[in-house]
Amino acid sequence: MRWVAILVFAQLAGAAVAPSAWVPMRWPWSDSKSLELLAGGPVNCLLVKSYPADFITAASARGLATLAIVTPGGDTLASARAAVAAQLTGVVLEGDFPEGVAAAVREAVAGAPVIELTSRGRMPLGSNAPIIGTWQGVWPGIAVEEDGAKKSGPTNSVWIDTNTGFIRAVRAWGGAALWIANQPPAKTVVTGTRYLQVIADAAASGAHWVLALDDDFADRLVRREEAAMRDWRRIVELAGYFERHPEWRRLPEYGKLAVVQDPAKGGLLSGGILDMIAVKHTPVRPVPRQHLTADALKGATMAVNVDADALTPEQKEVLRSFTRGGGMLLTGPPGWKDSNPGEGRITLEKAELERLNDIWRDVNSMVGRRNLGVRLFNVSSMLSNVLASDDGKIALIHLVNYSDYPIENVTAHFLGSYKRAVLLTPDGTEKQLDIYPADEASGVDIAKVSVCATIKLE
Amino acid sequence: MTRREWIAMLAATPLLKAAPEAPTAPVSIARCSSYDEDVTAKMAAMFDQLGGLEKLVRNKTVTVKINMTGPTAQRVQGKALGVTHYTHPKVVGATAYLLSKAGARRVRFVESAWATAGPLEEVMLDSGWNVRSLQSAAPNVEFENTNAIGKGKKYARLNVGGSPLMYAGFEMNHAYEETDVFVSLAKLKNHATCGVTLSMKNCFGNLPASIYGDNAGVDEPNESPTRGRQAVCHDGKRQPSKSAPQELHFGANHEPEYRMPRIVADVVAARPIHLAIIEGVETIAGGEGPWIRGVRPVQPGVIVAGLNPVCTDAVATAMMGYSPRATRGTTPFENCDNTLLFAEGHGIGTTDLKRIDVRGLPIEQALYRFHQA
Repeated sequence: MRWVAILVFAQLAGAAVAPSAWVPMRWPWSDSKSLELLAGGPVNCLLVKSYPADFITAASARGLATLAIVTPGGDTLASARAAVAAQLTGVVLEGDFPEGVAAAVREAVAGAPVIELTSRGRMPLGSNAPIIGTWQGVWPGIAVEEDGAKKSGPTNSVWIDTNTGFIRAVRAWGGAALWIANQPPAKTVVTGTRYLQVIADAAASGAHWVLALDDDFADRLVRREEAAMRDWRRIVELAGYFERHPEWRRLPEYGKLAVVQDPAKGGLLSGGILDMIAVKHTPVRPVPRQHLTADALKGATMAVNVDADALTPEQKEVLRSFTRGGGMLLTGPPGWKDSNPGEGRITLEKAELERLNDIWRDVNSMVGRRNLGVRLFNVSSMLSNVLASDDGKIALIHLVNYSDYPIENVTAHFLGSYKRAVLLTPDGTEKQLDIYPADEASGVDIAKVSVCATIKLE
Repeated sequence: MTRREWIAMLAATPLLKAAPEAPTAPVSIARCSSYDEDVTAKMAAMFDQLGGLEKLVRNKTVTVKINMTGPTAQRVQGKALGVTHYTHPKVVGATAYLLSKAGARRVRFVESAWATAGPLEEVMLDSGWNVRSLQSAAPNVEFENTNAIGKGKKYARLNVGGSPLMYAGFEMNHAYEETDVFVSLAKLKNHATCGVTLSMKNCFGNLPASIYGDNAGVDEPNESPTRGRQAVCHDGKRQPSKSAPQELHFGANHEPEYRMPRIVADVVAARPIHLAIIEGVETIAGGEGPWIRGVRPVQPGVIVAGLNPVCTDAVATAMMGYSPRATRGTTPFENCDNTLLFAEGHGIGTTDLKRIDVRGLPIEQALYRFHQA
């Protein structure tokens, strides 16, 4: 298959690949033989804690980039220098270092890439860094109560823990590649399907989850156990699916509903307004408060201004013009402040969630049954992301299924006069879909979604 | 005990004296092990055993109440809704086709979808049903969400008549009145509050949440209902909107297991069922939906149909391994009263298996003990 050949080539070209195109993975092994697992796959960047010379040589021979993980506490500069001296490609600074350390490390390694995986609150949003990242993330999946029941969220739907709202808020503010490097939860059985959901959760919103295996899976994989190998192949296949389409990550979010929010405040939290809207499958376009212009709201018919008091007079005028032009505007309740996340916190506190519920109810009521770009049906266990090229010629609807079962008979009703609809799935299938007229829109039906699928409209 | 012995004992058990005057009608049972089988052919054979649909539906408007209980997002083990607690769309499609083939002028599918007054078609799509396929199953297929006033201009007032138990009448969506034939297309299931949910309990869903819902208007209906019907119907904590007939003995009893069987019997007396179809190809045991702890998927592999809902439900109850004439305290009515007996008391039909002509598969061959499943 052509894409396999491309991936192999990409891996051979490995270290020459631009950092923004790296497909990262925490590599739990340091023996050269372990690298055989990467043959034919998209992973081309290994984050390692130890790095014997023969391992680094073997990785380099395979064209893999290698990054030494350096954490706070020791002699950071010495660790970074040692890594580069050992012929690693670069360094990952994981954790929150004192101010100035990252700059000092960059100087010390003289041009070698330095990737910072900080807490969400310390990410250099809007910077020129080719890659920004965080070690903080929720572990995506359908939220389950302690008694085993499915948790119903504020939207009264099945609640899905996800990083997508955070990722989308961050991506809206800058073009850097985004790595989300949270690790599998401890003392938890992580099935192969859950890994797929985590990969897709990030990738469908345009980020990379830094692949990380739990100890049990890694042990079974190193023994080449059949079930573990099967899961690994599925992981590789899914990661490769998104890497075959790097252009997808560059497409902006599409939707006639815009959410104006400061990514550096509430946008950093999971479970916020973007995630609430995502659970209802309303396509939404995050607009960073810092980028709020008339152009940013072009094409939107509704807008939610989460923190009205935070806007400058000029930005308030932009919203006034929006409403004068016929747009519907919803503002947060009086007194609502989009707060900075506290130290180490990445989800909303209960009181904040209850306050946000007020906004949510108003959004829900405002949206109603309107088609704000795409309406999806039979997707209660899924999240979606709608992307579209600026010229409107191409649109993508990513679907990620967080249940343990394939979902059959999904329907999408979309706006726009697209002539062709194709369903793409990680196994390489490309199937043309029949487009039919449906309720002031066009519709397509999908027979089955396993973990992930994409509808491409042209 | 063999199945035959069990059935004999069941029929002979004088748990409650049957109303001798209650009418009877034949009931047909068919084996259908899978939705991949030719469901349409099996149902056609059943309707033939009942004397054919033509004389019932030719040139008539036929309204079919399907069962889509609970939110579409709540699923049993992630399975498709049609193989657990919703009527399966293949059975719905087969019903449309056969009614149309028998000459029905219009087939209108109705359900009071959970917590919404939006189009029923969208609820179906959210359930994973192929609405286009259903629409093409027959000409003139329509859908109406009866949870509010819907496409009508006013609510229909339907009176119970005789000796009502809880309500003298109900207000329902116009579709329940503007029809010549009314079909209950139900699922074969247990029910936490009523023991079993069959063709009659299915019709509890006739009641619009706009009037009987937890956030129904006090004086007038709330045309945007977003809640269930717990407070008015199950618990008797409040009356329906004042525009509708009020509960007769409001405040006298707040026990759902007392109230619900009586309300269902009143609903069926007010809106008679001409054709009862109960599908149990795949379903659940232990309750009516995933919100009931302990529900489990089962495959009884049967479809039941009859021209009298009480007779049909009596046969279905027996097939599930219960006595249709059991009283409170006896499985599956351990904690509730028996809807079938109240409906019999209303004179709708008999629960006496000895008086019911069962055609097709005998009950003992269709027996599927739900409590042991």
